[in-house]
Amino acid sequence: MAAVSQGFKTDLLGSIPSLRAFAVSLTQNADKADDLVQETLVKAWDKHESFQPGTNLKAWLFTILRNEFYSQMRKRGREVQDSDGIMTARLAVHPAQHGQLDLKDFRGALEQLPEDQREAIILIGASGFSYEEAAEICGCAVGTIKSRVSRARARLQEILKISGEDEFGPDAISAQVTGSNAA
Amino acid sequence: MTKNITAGADRRRAASGDLLGPNSEIGRKLKQYYDELVSDHVPDRFAQLLSQLEQAEPAQKKD
Repeated sequence: MAAVSQGFKTDLLGSIPSLRAFAVSLTQNADKADDLVQETLVKAWDKHESFQPGTNLKAWLFTILRNEFYSQMRKRGREVQDSDGIMTARLAVHPAQHGQLDLKDFRGALEQLPEDQREAIILIGASGFSYEEAAEICGCAVGTIKSRVSRARARLQEILKISGEDEFGPDAISAQVTGSNAA
Repeated sequence: MTKNITAGADRRRAASGDLLGPNSEIGRKLKQYYDELVSDHVPDRFAQLLSQLEQAEPAQKKD
């Protein structure tokens, strides 16, 4: 069996900050995120031979991390995310029309998104992946990613009461907000 | 709804450029949120883990 090269190890080390950021985005919990990153590194090490040098290591690692996350969720019977956090988030959200949107409010809003939408908007809007790469990481069609990103964005706007960014006018948003509490 | 973003979407930058770019409040917050996470201090446990994996290498076997 081929040994893990020094370069691979260095690249793994270099990927850790991104992996942790993605893991926190998925789990919304710092401790769970670090456990997830640890699992990911062990898995990546074990199957390093299946990585093709020259391809995107970060995408490969994100795929492993994501698979690990969902398989853990399935094992645990999909436990509900930290309900205290969600409660705080709901209380913390204010209308953002005047002045800067608070990062804490944004975090709270992000937390309320379904996992599939949250991961899609993170991969595209923050991790710097293309729609094609994100589709590969999530094992779905490019169109699915596009629609998840679009729904995630609309939902965030709705939660944060941001208006004027696109086709949703203030009226459309308040109409959605009043009807969305049970969602 | 996403038709207008396919036009210049072949480049990575452009993928998020329209809907989540610097002109979008959501896009800016998303990057701020994520950049903060990325710049978080990495605990030593990860470097230690990789060293352990490296040392265990010759006997490496998957169950």
